[in-house]
Amino acid sequence: MSSGAPATPAIQVMDVVKVFDGGVVRALDGVSLEVAPLEFVAITGPSGCGKSTLLHLIAALDHPTSGTIIVHGRDLRMAGNERFRRREVGLVFQLHNLLPNLTALENIEVAMFSNGMTHREQRARAAELLGSVGLGRKGRTTPPRLSGGERQRLALARALANRPSIILADEPTGSLDSTSVEMVLDLLRAIREQQGVTIVLVTHDAHVAEAADRVIRMRDGHVVAAVDAPPSG
Amino acid sequence: MSFAGLIARNVYTRKVRSILTGAAVAIGIMTVVALGVLTHSLNRTAVSVLRTGSADFTVAQKNVSDVLYSAMDEGDITRIQQTPGVASVVGVLVAAVQLDSAHPFFLELGIQPDALANFGVSVVAGRPYAANATGEVMLGYRAARDLNKSVGDNIVIDGNKFKIVGIFSTGQVFGDSASMLPLTNLQTLERKPGAVTLAFVKVTPGANIDAVRAKIEHDNAQLATVRTQAEFGRVDRNLRLISAANVGISILALAFGAIGVMNTTAMSVFERTREFGVMRAVGWTRARVIGLVMGEAALISLLGACIGIALGFAAIRLIQRVPELIGVFQPDYTASVFARALAIAMGMALIGALYPAIRAALLSPLEALRHE
Repeated sequence: MSSGAPATPAIQVMDVVKVFDGGVVRALDGVSLEVAPLEFVAITGPSGCGKSTLLHLIAALDHPTSGTIIVHGRDLRMAGNERFRRREVGLVFQLHNLLPNLTALENIEVAMFSNGMTHREQRARAAELLGSVGLGRKGRTTPPRLSGGERQRLALARALANRPSIILADEPTGSLDSTSVEMVLDLLRAIREQQGVTIVLVTHDAHVAEAADRVIRMRDGHVVAAVDAPPSG
Repeated sequence: MSFAGLIARNVYTRKVRSILTGAAVAIGIMTVVALGVLTHSLNRTAVSVLRTGSADFTVAQKNVSDVLYSAMDEGDITRIQQTPGVASVVGVLVAAVQLDSAHPFFLELGIQPDALANFGVSVVAGRPYAANATGEVMLGYRAARDLNKSVGDNIVIDGNKFKIVGIFSTGQVFGDSASMLPLTNLQTLERKPGAVTLAFVKVTPGANIDAVRAKIEHDNAQLATVRTQAEFGRVDRNLRLISAANVGISILALAFGAIGVMNTTAMSVFERTREFGVMRAVGWTRARVIGLVMGEAALISLLGACIGIALGFAAIRLIQRVPELIGVFQPDYTASVFARALAIAMGMALIGALYPAIRAALLSPLEALRHE
């Protein structure tokens, strides 16, 4: 994807700095990068290198100390955070963050409140998404009764609920066994192809990073390398 | 799933929290309902003395602790009679006695026989008592039916034996449940010579009732006029105090209920920090988070209010068995008591859940997601 025709980047990160504790911790130190539409990018690096912080800034879960982040041509400082998260991005977390008292279907539906759909449409969309991640028969099952891999697939389905253009995944395979890891990676690739979304995945696992089109390596708050992943197979 | 469905689901699945919060609300509402019905019913019983005869309004001594302690003399009655716009004044001495254990609150009305017509009395059986008779009495038809008495029977009231010479009707429930005897005789029996308790006033056709009342009160500073139940506190300080206590205890119930709701809701918000982080992360607005927390508190408070109302009914049943209240306390379930209970329950939810809801809404999504 990185070698495709020039297009407006899906994500532009320009000289972004993020400090914590009044400047004691400099998590990001002048990070700049671009992600093309429909690209699958993996951000890797050791713990504490700033990769998750960068993902949170792109998701508008936090604000940069300085610098600019532009998503689909819109500066995030000008975008309403809730509206942006609801319409533009789908988030997947390492700990899946599902609501344990709700069924699989309901976990997807809560992400669709305020999106203008009727309850019937929301239920149909949730069922469709569950089917697409292989959980069509688990609609009435609550998360505690799902396996780790199933929970992560459910989290992925929830991330897709509002038809986002970007999926941001923070260590989505971090707590999964190898079989489930492969299943989730296959699913991410399939989603990218079928639904036409851009994917940014944060991982410290080199094998997982190989699933992406491009790997961005970070260290101590800096981008140190950006390389195309070798063709799989 | 609808937003309301999510609220209901959260209330149902978090049973312990819901039960604790609902219990706090239920206890408060039970207090409000029981006290409200008790106060209203006592008020109604006390006001009954004003409803024994037909009149446009009633006059009594101002600010007495109990309306039965009101005392007016013949001079007061004469001055009221002379007020422009007054058509008739009937001075009545009222005494409340215990007839027997089943009738602890029985009214004796002392009234001259020539005033019976103006008081709205129709003798439906027998005859009126004589003006100076000492052993004659008339019973209201409801009292006669209740006591299984008829003309010619004898009856002992407050230790005095009377012959029932007539049965009367006033068209007023309380009047028809009372007895009547000559004013002078009751004054003697009560050791209140020349005194009456109340004056029942009718105005001339076309007269402005409020203007007549104002004139009477202006000319007689020691007297107060009463036309409605709400005004009864002007001539019965005890009832005013009971009503004030009712309001005070309702406010306390609201405060304690709200603290209960706040306590459990705040705990719940803390425990669910990560959940709110997820909701904010998937695009929920702060307003929707507030709506969720407030909605859950409102639903729990509503359920607690229903239980509290049921408990209030049970409490009233128990109160009815208190010997001192038998006959005096006839529960009067008015819509206003239950409307107030529901309003207080919603107040508990609003006041109690507002702060935790705002806290939940102001959580940083990122910090909330990191919450253990």
